[in-house]
Amino acid sequence: MAKGDIVKSVVAYVVGQIVSRPEEVQVTLVERGPNEVLAEVRTAKGDMGRVIGRRGRVARAIRTVAQAAADEEGLVAGVEFVD
Amino acid sequence: MQWVEVRGKTIDVAVEAAMRELGIDDRDRLEIEVIQQPERGFLGLGGKDAIVRVKPKPARKRRRRRRKGKGEHAATQRGRGRENRKPRRERNGARPARSEPKEKEAATVEEREVTIEEQTRVVEEFLRGLVDAFGLEGEVKTRLEDDVIVVDVIGPQTEAMVGPRGSVIEAIHELTKTVLQRRTQTAPRVRLDIAGYAERRRQALTIYANQLIDQVLEEGGEIMLEPMSAADRKVIHDAVAAREGVRSYSEGEAPQRYVVIAKVEEDSEDSAAAEEE
Repeated sequence: MAKGDIVKSVVAYVVGQIVSRPEEVQVTLVERGPNEVLAEVRTAKGDMGRVIGRRGRVARAIRTVAQAAADEEGLVAGVEFVD
Repeated sequence: MQWVEVRGKTIDVAVEAAMRELGIDDRDRLEIEVIQQPERGFLGLGGKDAIVRVKPKPARKRRRRRRKGKGEHAATQRGRGRENRKPRRERNGARPARSEPKEKEAATVEEREVTIEEQTRVVEEFLRGLVDAFGLEGEVKTRLEDDVIVVDVIGPQTEAMVGPRGSVIEAIHELTKTVLQRRTQTAPRVRLDIAGYAERRRQALTIYANQLIDQVLEEGGEIMLEPMSAADRKVIHDAVAAREGVRSYSEGEAPQRYVVIAKVEEDSEDSAAAEEE
């Protein structure tokens, strides 16, 4: 299993559950250091607002859950929502 | 009437788990509805668990409901104590909707009721998938308490989904509500616990609250607690409500909202606890 796989699977799953067009969700992992990954999230136009939520509530929840997933692998994870 | 919904590798496994949950050891005393037949996956992938919904059979002597004729059997009714029920729509051969005015009236109520069960399904599926995405072993159990969807994610590995001071549970709760909103355009109340954390926290908070109540009763005045989540404040309010001579209320704006425990003054009429939340 590659580094950050759990983070990627969790973020992709959650985002896919929230958007109206799950088939257009893309999550790309970027290595930022030996123990740090960044998940870049891309969605169909118009879906990003849903993923971020009012005042960023949903985005914050996704980041928290992503870090919980990263803890499973002893990593630090960030999530970036790319417009 | 309370029902529980359980998943398992096979229908039998799921039913047994449900029987343990309900504390019933005689299968004949259960009403069992199979929601999903199990499917074997290919090479362990893509299989589906069995899902059953189970509740105790109503006792014989139970008050008879007015029969509405036309092939409605008591056994297939989803008894939650409302009048004028009609068959559930969809699933396992829905009956064609009838258009008699009387049934129309009932439709709103029934519609809502069906919806909460669908909502429960959405919640359960979302959380089941999340546990899988984490690569963890765990079970998701749902039940309805009044109109609240109560969900327990259980299994030792699911500890990983709790987080410091339950922060990950809170995030997952937020996401669950978001998914419900997106999928069903509704916002039912959901209570979520993972790995028994909320229950342990509730117990610890109750003990803590009782210590503070003792202190207030002894010394008079008020004690302000630290800011807490709505769920935690509720635990404090409940603990206070269970005791004589004290009352509680909340002040401040979330996330800085906190509970105050106060001694009830002799001449005060106000012995009510927790007005709001």
